[in-house]
Amino acid sequence: MSLRRQLEVALPRLLAWGLLGFLFLPLLVVIPVALTDRDYLSLPQHGISLAHFAALLDWDNGWLPSIATSAAIGVLASALATTLGVSFAVGAWAAAGWWPSCLRVLLLSPLIVPPMIYTVAMVKLWARLALLDTYPGVVLVHTVLALPLALLAVSASLANLDPRLVQAARSLGARPLTVFSRVILPNIIPGVAAAALLAFVISWDEITVTLFITERAVVTLPRRIWTSITEAVDPALAAIATVLLIVTIIALAARSMYQTRSERRLLGR
Amino acid sequence: MSSFKRTALLLTAPASLVAIALYALPIVQVLALSVTEPTLGWANYRDLFSNGAVGRVVMTTLKVSVLTTLLTVAASYTVALAMLHMARGWRRIAFFLLLVPFWISVLVRAFSWITILRREGVLNRLLLDVGALSTPLELVYNTLGVTIGMVHYMIPFATLLLYANLSDIDRRLMQAARSLGARPATVFWRVWLPLSVPGLALATLFVFVFALGFFVTPALLGGGKTLMIAEYISVQVSTTARWDLATSLSTMLLVVVGALFFIATRSPALRAAFTARPPP
Repeated sequence: MSLRRQLEVALPRLLAWGLLGFLFLPLLVVIPVALTDRDYLSLPQHGISLAHFAALLDWDNGWLPSIATSAAIGVLASALATTLGVSFAVGAWAAAGWWPSCLRVLLLSPLIVPPMIYTVAMVKLWARLALLDTYPGVVLVHTVLALPLALLAVSASLANLDPRLVQAARSLGARPLTVFSRVILPNIIPGVAAAALLAFVISWDEITVTLFITERAVVTLPRRIWTSITEAVDPALAAIATVLLIVTIIALAARSMYQTRSERRLLGR
Repeated sequence: MSSFKRTALLLTAPASLVAIALYALPIVQVLALSVTEPTLGWANYRDLFSNGAVGRVVMTTLKVSVLTTLLTVAASYTVALAMLHMARGWRRIAFFLLLVPFWISVLVRAFSWITILRREGVLNRLLLDVGALSTPLELVYNTLGVTIGMVHYMIPFATLLLYANLSDIDRRLMQAARSLGARPATVFWRVWLPLSVPGLALATLFVFVFALGFFVTPALLGGGKTLMIAEYISVQVSTTARWDLATSLSTMLLVVVGALFFIATRSPALRAAFTARPPP
């Protein structure tokens, strides 16, 4: 191979790895900052310290309560979004028609419509219904925002479901509810689990709308982080960012290992 | 109608009710308020076009969004194409480097960039210490910082979208080109690029629409100086309570996003990308 040809192959590849580095490496900066021995945002100077991680564990600093709040809201919103999403996806799959497809577009639209527009809408509505800064107000908004991905996850599972299973069950005399709960549902459980997980992550991360429909009574973790970035930047912020980074890395590594194992099992190795 | 179909339609009812009552109607109310608040008529839109502050915000939004979209799509195409050519093991590492920033909270990402880019930040400290600089650079709380943060946010998403689209391209075409003696550069310009147009158009559309309405990263990395439209709307809601301005700007944004998607579904290249099949 000529030098020129080698360069034509190697340069784009080098550029791609450089870009992947640009994506990943800046995230790592939070780790040394979290370990600083100073009480302001800086790299460690005379040694490392775990004081900022310890500060996270103090209930009065507000990090633990906000984690509990986000977890509770996430579980409720995920349960609601998954129930609604599964029910809709299964119903629309079985009763194809113009009505389900129109509603499907509406249910998916939060993926495209800028969240700030929805924020304006919900601040107005919740102010009138006295739901600003309340748990039900946040859970309902998160449910609506989590529905698109829950719906997509279940729909992906349903696309692989053989319609003849349903025909067989119906021709053997199963009542409609029996078909849905005993034939369709057990076959799409992986999709339901994916929907629940995605819905939880959406709620756990949501900030744009939450920021304007909450104040003091409901402080989710993203809201707590937001306040800390905009008002008083302290290294505890780097510590919580480190914790979130490590959890994400572990979750992705576990998923990758699980996938490799199931691939090997499929190949019979 | 059979009882089976009736039950199926009934199952779609709860989500439909929630979506209509808690999504569609509140947004319709925003549209309605923009022509009724404070008085009935188009006065809010006339004010919008004669308002100098709004004009500056719109120009900033367009400038940052166009820049972000161009950089993001170019970078994502480079990464997606390289990933398609990687061996399995390397590709898994590349996916990992892509998925960690994809899943981590947008706030953590913005915070990382603030830590790196601010005046006393890691990058300025490093450059001052090695003597490459005598005064720190202004890297954040301006358009540069917002663009860096937004490109960093969008690349993982755009790369995954492009990777999925490019995977559907029939690779035998490239083998044929190579076996006929085409150099790698020729294979890229004459085969890969033309076949990538639907995927590139789709990624451009999504990144541009996300950039137009993006709130978190511009608000945190712009530091109030680089004001984009979503942050400007939020100020009208939370600080100045100017509902006329908030609702009419929201309506404009919604109309622009809607129009972009409408045009997109008309264009054959994008329709092909949506259905994930190459155009005939």
